[in-house]
Amino acid sequence: MLRVAIVGCGKIADAHASQIQRISGCEIVGVCDSEPLMARQLYERFAVKRYFGDLSDLLNDARPDVVHITTPPESHFDIARSCLERGCHVYVEKPLTLHAEEAQILVALANERGLKLTVGHDDQFSHVARRMRSLVQSGYLGGRPVHMESHFGHELEDSAYARALLADKQHWVRRLPGKLLHNVISHGIARIAEFLSSDAPQVIAYGFVSPLLRGMGEEEIVDELRVIICEDERTTAYFTFSSQMRPSIHQFRIYGPKNGLFLDQDQETLIRLRGGRFKSYLEKFIPPVIFAEQHLGNVMTNVRGFLARDFHMRSGMRYLSESFYRSIREGSPVPIPYREILLTARIMDAIFDQLDTRRSPVISKSAARDQTRAYHAASVRQNERATPDSSTASASVG
Amino acid sequence: MATLDALAGRHRGARIQLVKGNLLSREDCAVATRDVAVIFHLAVGGGKSFPEAFMNSVITTRNLLEASLRETCLRRFVNISSFAVYSNTQKPRWRLLDESCPVETRPELRGEAYCFAKVKQDELVTEYGRRFGIPYVIVRPGYVYGPGHEEISARVGIGTFGVFLHLGGWNTLPFTYVDNCAEAIALAGLKKGVEGKVFNVVDDELPSSRRFLRLYKQNVRRFASIGVPRVVSYAVCCLWEMYSKWSDEQLPPVFNRRRWHAYWKKTRYSNERTKAQLGWTPKVSMEEGFRRYFESCQARARHA
Repeated sequence: MLRVAIVGCGKIADAHASQIQRISGCEIVGVCDSEPLMARQLYERFAVKRYFGDLSDLLNDARPDVVHITTPPESHFDIARSCLERGCHVYVEKPLTLHAEEAQILVALANERGLKLTVGHDDQFSHVARRMRSLVQSGYLGGRPVHMESHFGHELEDSAYARALLADKQHWVRRLPGKLLHNVISHGIARIAEFLSSDAPQVIAYGFVSPLLRGMGEEEIVDELRVIICEDERTTAYFTFSSQMRPSIHQFRIYGPKNGLFLDQDQETLIRLRGGRFKSYLEKFIPPVIFAEQHLGNVMTNVRGFLARDFHMRSGMRYLSESFYRSIREGSPVPIPYREILLTARIMDAIFDQLDTRRSPVISKSAARDQTRAYHAASVRQNERATPDSSTASASVG
Repeated sequence: MATLDALAGRHRGARIQLVKGNLLSREDCAVATRDVAVIFHLAVGGGKSFPEAFMNSVITTRNLLEASLRETCLRRFVNISSFAVYSNTQKPRWRLLDESCPVETRPELRGEAYCFAKVKQDELVTEYGRRFGIPYVIVRPGYVYGPGHEEISARVGIGTFGVFLHLGGWNTLPFTYVDNCAEAIALAGLKKGVEGKVFNVVDDELPSSRRFLRLYKQNVRRFASIGVPRVVSYAVCCLWEMYSKWSDEQLPPVFNRRRWHAYWKKTRYSNERTKAQLGWTPKVSMEEGFRRYFESCQARARHA
């Protein structure tokens, strides 16, 4: 029986607890929060053996094999390092750490101790994402990806989380280097990182505070972001994060030299985009029928999953956790390769470095325009990290 | 803060000190409770997330209680609870719900974060009263209606599935107009000799769900609704609960028998204790309360 513990008993910890309980061969031996009342409420609602207010007590007394870290991101690194040093495998909620360097240290530490590490990019393990991965691996694209587009919408108006963030100037999200973006975009970035082969793609980021937020007096929460990612002038990707775009979507498109795929995370649909064209007017009539057939197929797949009790909202988290536990038991590879985890962290660093420099109060509007040109110019250079005070910051993530 | 500023503006002779802070901060709670004789704790954590509701209800309450322990001048801690905490089963007097009725013992099974948080908040206040002698009073309003709270109560029905399902039928609704409720809360803070007691707040002349819905449609907006008999709503809640369990919560257990008992079971309500011990009477009649409420709903609809 694998002994699992959860550190951090906020909203996302509920999802972890309920998905862990659905996995056979494991038990939650303890939950921990620096606020013991929060730990107790999780303990009271789930089948958990004990609750703790201190991490050391959890590690000493509950002796978990695996620790799920679901605290705010700024504490991920310290807690993950402590757990790894005490011999525990670690599942860290996204984002793994605040900076890529910290992610690198954790990966190195895990390797050194013979332990496993993963990050909560569970969207990549939903039913539809797994179907897409299988198709890509089967060669459906006809070669390595030519271009990808990842859209990640985030509605601010109706979200209690957003209300709390906007009302509280001391909110923990404001202390993150990328603020709101830092806490939410890694799902959309990781989708792209999975299909990049280079460790040092070039990144060009442009972000701003939406008119809606500016109208509410908000000046520091960037809620509109556009990113171009390019590797070796072969594979490119666009990433779009928007709080204002409607519909608010979570979609991913990937195009190869032969065919493409279109994934809708919200609807859990996967559409094959055939590269060939029909003759003349047939191109107007036949593809819509093919798309209709594919949509119907997606409906049937989803309904079958639901009837089989295998269509939970957080099914990706269960699959990721289960795969992670299997990799621990059997010594097989981790479900998310470390290269991919680190690449996601580096791309995020590059984005936030650029936004940070652009939004620096000492940069005038004209200087900011110059700075934008500098990113474009510098984007051809590799192996140089951007720094907030650099006048010619590189956008390379290598 | 804008609401509080406006309130202060309407009472120019009054000496009002506004403290801006977050109840999740112990430091802010210490500032807010300094030299305070009566605390009216109205803050509430809503939403569907259990941890968030718990944090915004229970942790905030704990912080306030801890801060007030350091103050020697505290005379009364008025904790605003809710009818949601009552299980509405095994009542001593069958259909009558009053302060003697049992509270949910397993609130996590109601499938409602608000209920869970409120039960835990009440437990915490009672515990601090017992352990540290904090002079508390618990006020449990029914459904507070009036300007600023225009939604239709779930006790009447729900619109979750695209059409409004009227679940209340001929049930009596435990309504209290916002001004009446505010007065009861104020009295709970000022009346001597009521420490450690619980007071339910509902108005007189309570309407039936059917009557309320008819008036709402006449005065605010027309919409289609389907009346769901109690036996059907109970059966649906049973089935939903069973399916949720069978499917490992593929559908969350938001409809279940506990919830049906709490919201859609035929029940009578009493405000006798509040009247007798706090000297409270609802000053705004139900008729006048509805008139103001519907006007507010109309104004909101115009601005939407």
